[in-house]
Amino acid sequence: MKKKLGALLTLVLVMTTVLAGCGGKDDAKTITFWTPLTGDDGAYMDQLVKDYNATNPEIKVKHVVTSDMYTKLSTVLNSKKGIPDLTIIHADRVPGYVKQDLLQPMTTVMQAQPELKQDNYLPQAWSVGNINNTQYTIPLDIHSSAMYYNKDLLKEYGVENFLDDNVVTFDEMMSLKGKLKQGDYVVNDALLSWVILAQIQNLGGDIQQDGKPAVNTEAMKKAIESVKKLNDAGLLTPQGEDGYLMFQSGNVLFSTDGTWSSTAHAKVENLNFGVTNVYAPSPDKFTNRASSHLFAMFKNEKRTEEKEKGIAAFLEFIRSNSMEWAKAGQIVASKQVNESPEYKNYIQSFFTSDEKETKSLYIYTYEYYPYVAEALDTYVSDLVRGNVPIDEGLKTMQKYVEDKINEN
Amino acid sequence: MKKKFNLAPVFFVGPHLILFIVFILLPTIYGIYASFTKWNLLGAPEWVGLDNYKTIFFDSTSTFHTQFFRGLRNTLMFVVLTVPLLIIIPLMIAVALEHKKVKAKSLMQSILYLPGLISISAAALIWSLIFNKQLGITGNVFGSETVWASHQPYAWIMIVVLTLWGGVGGNMIIYRASISGVGQDLYESADLDGAGPIRKFFSITLPSINFPLIYTFVMTTAGAFNVFGQPLMLTKGGPQESTSVLMMYIRKLAFGSGESIAGMASAMAVLLGVVILIISALQYYLMNRKSA
Repeated sequence: MKKKLGALLTLVLVMTTVLAGCGGKDDAKTITFWTPLTGDDGAYMDQLVKDYNATNPEIKVKHVVTSDMYTKLSTVLNSKKGIPDLTIIHADRVPGYVKQDLLQPMTTVMQAQPELKQDNYLPQAWSVGNINNTQYTIPLDIHSSAMYYNKDLLKEYGVENFLDDNVVTFDEMMSLKGKLKQGDYVVNDALLSWVILAQIQNLGGDIQQDGKPAVNTEAMKKAIESVKKLNDAGLLTPQGEDGYLMFQSGNVLFSTDGTWSSTAHAKVENLNFGVTNVYAPSPDKFTNRASSHLFAMFKNEKRTEEKEKGIAAFLEFIRSNSMEWAKAGQIVASKQVNESPEYKNYIQSFFTSDEKETKSLYIYTYEYYPYVAEALDTYVSDLVRGNVPIDEGLKTMQKYVEDKINEN
Repeated sequence: MKKKFNLAPVFFVGPHLILFIVFILLPTIYGIYASFTKWNLLGAPEWVGLDNYKTIFFDSTSTFHTQFFRGLRNTLMFVVLTVPLLIIIPLMIAVALEHKKVKAKSLMQSILYLPGLISISAAALIWSLIFNKQLGITGNVFGSETVWASHQPYAWIMIVVLTLWGGVGGNMIIYRASISGVGQDLYESADLDGAGPIRKFFSITLPSINFPLIYTFVMTTAGAFNVFGQPLMLTKGGPQESTSVLMMYIRKLAFGSGESIAGMASAMAVLLGVVILIISALQYYLMNRKSA
């Protein structure tokens, strides 16, 4: 009996030790850095962290790629245990977190490293982290929607002139109606909701009015109607088909997608492609709907001043050494990087090639933007395809967003 | 004589019990509590009593009401379409594999079971390419002009085909194991009485595998109510939300964009749990009574 009891106690002890080990301890010499970078970009960030740690800093960085990061953040913020020292969050999350008083301003970090300042970053990426004159984030990048084009197909159809002013218009695309071979399409429907959000800006609209969601608007209606015309003319890849793959297989002239897709396109043999702005009604006003990865610190009493200095050193390293991040297809926010000659080798450098291009990168900062985007993701495809009347769909989307806001 | 305390069961049951309590029982209890709250996961839950349930059931103008019942209807559609097939097809295959003339039984069993080991994402990717009009087999080999994911009933057919491809093998193995345990003397007696294969199936095989049948029926139904990956990956809930199932909506509410609406999501999850419980109990009762 004693032997059995002893074995049981040993087992409990071993399990407790193992489980305690799983929890990890708060190492004063390690900056725990959470990111939601579960794709290829996670590997590029790993490399950046490795490069930084190779400089033998006093406090090293431990990169933790966390799937479902926002859910896990909710858990640790609630329990106040295991809050990461540093995190990458998306631009649209900032207003909500600030409103709930969860983010620590970057004041001490910026004091420790004076080059972490507005002048050294793309203005949009910097300003999305500034609320009521307090800087809550330091930007890593802008990740924007973009439009890829198939050079061979443009030549085949004799429409290379579409790119003369770097803006392909609706009218230019419509001019190809009835002229395409069977199985070819002018444009795919990838990231359709981002395309619509870009058109809203092109049309002078917005998704909010006085802090309230404005989804059922004339600008939204016009934006959807204009894309619907492409669909009705048979120029948009069919709903339910993978337009992204169809572009890669050489059947689609233009592909609206993200800058990050350039790395995947580059791996496709014989795909002769380039990148330009997302299509617009006219070349006078064009928008590339964007977001941004931002470094942020969630409030955490256990984070020491020493660690904050370590974070500042890491962010300064990233500011001056993040060419690696360009490999992930992202528009690097640091001017030192995106203005360097080496950066011009990357296709996304197109979006910072001049002031007009840089200004075309638009980041929505409305507090309830995620709900608007979710409503668009859910309904816009059916509206563009004519499966649901636009007026009815707009009312549904407006209610969808309002109900979610009221429930919060 | 003093009875000795036997520690062996503690070793076998203990770990499972701990995992059950930590990962199933406590979260379930907390989920039920959360369903009576307004909660965005970040702050403390705010007690609102039955408000979430009232909205779901009675506020017909609310998106939550509309989406819940649409999701439930689509989930029921999936259950009705797949559960009978996931019972009948594996049963037929299991019976066929038991036939003396069938060779390479283990190989065939492995081939049929293999798709069940593939993750739903990978499987969906394979089938979405097969059903792709432009690039896939349906368009290129069979010349189909149908864009499957955007038209009904094709969207449901895609989902059902993927589900059967991955789900038939598991039930088939359970049936095979049960059928192989049926006494051969019963079949020999039936042969002497001149019973044909159909008669033997209904009079001997089916009654003999009654409990595995109830088990698979109940478990398959419960699993079907939790459908999530197939419509998410193949149709994204379309066309016109006709394949948007309840689990997709619950997940979107709880962990989708923006702040979580975890209280409402929990209420929907609890209601889904109640529906599964009632249907499973009913199935169990009816099948058990029939076989008694």
